[in-house]
Amino acid sequence: MANHKKTSDDNLKGTLYATFGIGIIIIVIWALCFNLFIDRF
Amino acid sequence: MTTAVTNKEIIKEKQLPKGKNLTTKDRLIKVDRKDAKLALAHMYVAFTALLVGGLAGLLQVFVRSGAFQLPFGIGYYQILTVHGVLLGLILTTYFIMGFQLAAVSRTAGALSNTQRKLGWIGFWLMTIGTVAAATMVLLNEASVLYTFYAPLQAHWIFYAGLALVVVGSWIEGLSQIMRYVQWRKENKGQTSPLLAFMAVVNNLMWFVASLGVAIEVLFQLLPWSLGLVERIDVLLSRTLFWYFGHALVYFWLLPAYMVWYVVIPKVIGGKLFSDALARLSFMLFLLFSIPVGVHHQLTEPGIDGFWKFLQVVLTFFVIVPSLMTAFSMFATFELRGRELGGKGVLGWFRQLPWKDSRFLVPFIGMVAFIPGGAGGIVNASYQMNQLIHNTIWVTGHFHLTIATAVVLTYFGAAFWLIPHLTGRTLTSRMNSLANTAGILWAVGMFIMSGAMHIAGLLGAPRRSEYSTYGGSEQAAEWISYQFAQAIGGTILFISILVIIGVVVNLLWFAPKGEEEFPVAEVAEGGGSTPAILENFKVWGVILVALILIAYTFPIFDILSNSPAGSTGFKLW
Ligand code: HEM
Ligand SMILES: [Cu+2]
Repeated sequence: MANHKKTSDDNLKGTLYATFGIGIIIIVIWALCFNLFIDRF
Repeated sequence: MTTAVTNKEIIKEKQLPKGKNLTTKDRLIKVDRKDAKLALAHMYVAFTALLVGGLAGLLQVFVRSGAFQLPFGIGYYQILTVHGVLLGLILTTYFIMGFQLAAVSRTAGALSNTQRKLGWIGFWLMTIGTVAAATMVLLNEASVLYTFYAPLQAHWIFYAGLALVVVGSWIEGLSQIMRYVQWRKENKGQTSPLLAFMAVVNNLMWFVASLGVAIEVLFQLLPWSLGLVERIDVLLSRTLFWYFGHALVYFWLLPAYMVWYVVIPKVIGGKLFSDALARLSFMLFLLFSIPVGVHHQLTEPGIDGFWKFLQVVLTFFVIVPSLMTAFSMFATFELRGRELGGKGVLGWFRQLPWKDSRFLVPFIGMVAFIPGGAGGIVNASYQMNQLIHNTIWVTGHFHLTIATAVVLTYFGAAFWLIPHLTGRTLTSRMNSLANTAGILWAVGMFIMSGAMHIAGLLGAPRRSEYSTYGGSEQAAEWISYQFAQAIGGTILFISILVIIGVVVNLLWFAPKGEEEFPVAEVAEGGGSTPAILENFKVWGVILVALILIAYTFPIFDILSNSPAGSTGFKLW
């Protein structure tokens, strides 16, 4: 890894998307439950 | 042929620049034989607890489906106590202490005779305590569930037994810390081995946290169950319990994170993304595991809203090291997958060693942790807690976190740790059985936990035997979900049987050979580790300050407004 040329495939794009993906899952689940909460209380 | 070998062959073929076949040398670094014996002793108890506790779980889902009744007058809550205590307290504590001991011995070096003796003393104290507590549960003297809330009152031997388990674990933790301190003395100025460091952080967190439950047992539950005092301050006991209880879940989780950060990268042939990031996240877990217990008491009268709010905010800080961990894992996977030729944004994903149970089974655990964590944030969201409080949603939540993410990681570790300790190998047959168990677990838990989450949102209570609630319409809505739980639970129990089969094979029947204890190196460009991350004094001071801020006033408030207290109840 250390000293080879950067190629278009040498990145952490997948990691970036996956981490944000988790964030989005969290927010969606939270929002759905919040909606239920507002309906009930 | 073992899977480890298969994996190595792949590595040899597809990889790697020169100098990377360290793998062979690394494989020979073994846990000291005498330490191995002590670590194995823990595994016997842990997996026995899994079998018996799993059986209890199966009976629970059957009873709750309404189609089955327990024979011989055995009570539902007795079974549920067996389940919670054996799986939540015994399986976990034994696996953790055995695993951490092996990890310290492997990375910091064999224990001295004194340290090992302490380890054995701790082990036997824990075991005497376990037998004592279990006996009381079997005699139906302690059906108080694994949280043993007052004013339910168990026989005093049950509390004393659990106290012995905690004291034994302290002594074992101490022996691990002593080995780490010895390493630092012998290697002044160097960064300590990451696994040993992580084990020490977990032990320190455990010491500070279990003080709460120790005080509760020693000064409240024991005198009260012995009849020395008549009444108990229920709110105080619950607050002390949850001061301990939330940190307890991180005590379970951190060893799984040790495997994720340090072991899994090596199993997939890659490297640890960053040593400093791993240490920082552990220190943050140390800080934010303890001053947050009140988030389990959000519906409780007697604790002022301000302090609940403060602890909710502190709870949310734990999202930071959690997402740091997720990021680090993805990065490790992506770097390795690209090294193996994965292209595009997600092509690396396919390159991972999906057939290797040492990877697949913990990976399923990681996936389960995503909805588990998301559900946890809902639970902790102060007012929103009342949506799910004491419903079966909560049970669904922690069967994703502890009973999937954590235990599948433990099992995935056991598949190399046990043969490493016994001098045997994981055969490819056992490896595929292990994978089957992992997949069965995923399916069974998806069904059981999913049904629990939904039923919980429909209002179904947790910790409750089958009941039609006097023919109530709302309760009728839950029954199909309870059936689904029984189906999922049956699949889970089959998975447990397969895992026990693999473990028995690895303990006594697998072919002799060498199985690696995988420990990853840090990736080049991972950066150096700042010394502050190993300065326990600094982090200790911050931790104590946070605890004092979060707890001084609430405890003072509870003490100064304490009511007469409650006498004991035995409702079973
Ligand atoms: C065969 C697999 C399993 C099944 C069928 C199962 C089923 C259940 C059910 C139905 C409950 C809730 C009962 C109620 O609230 O009335 C429960 C509670 C619980 N389970 Fe499991 N479970 C399984 C595995 C596990 C594992 C592996 C762990 C932990 C390592 C675990 C830990 C717990 C704990 C701590 C409780 C809470 C007990 C309480 O509320 O006092 N379970 N389980
Ligand atoms: Cu908690």
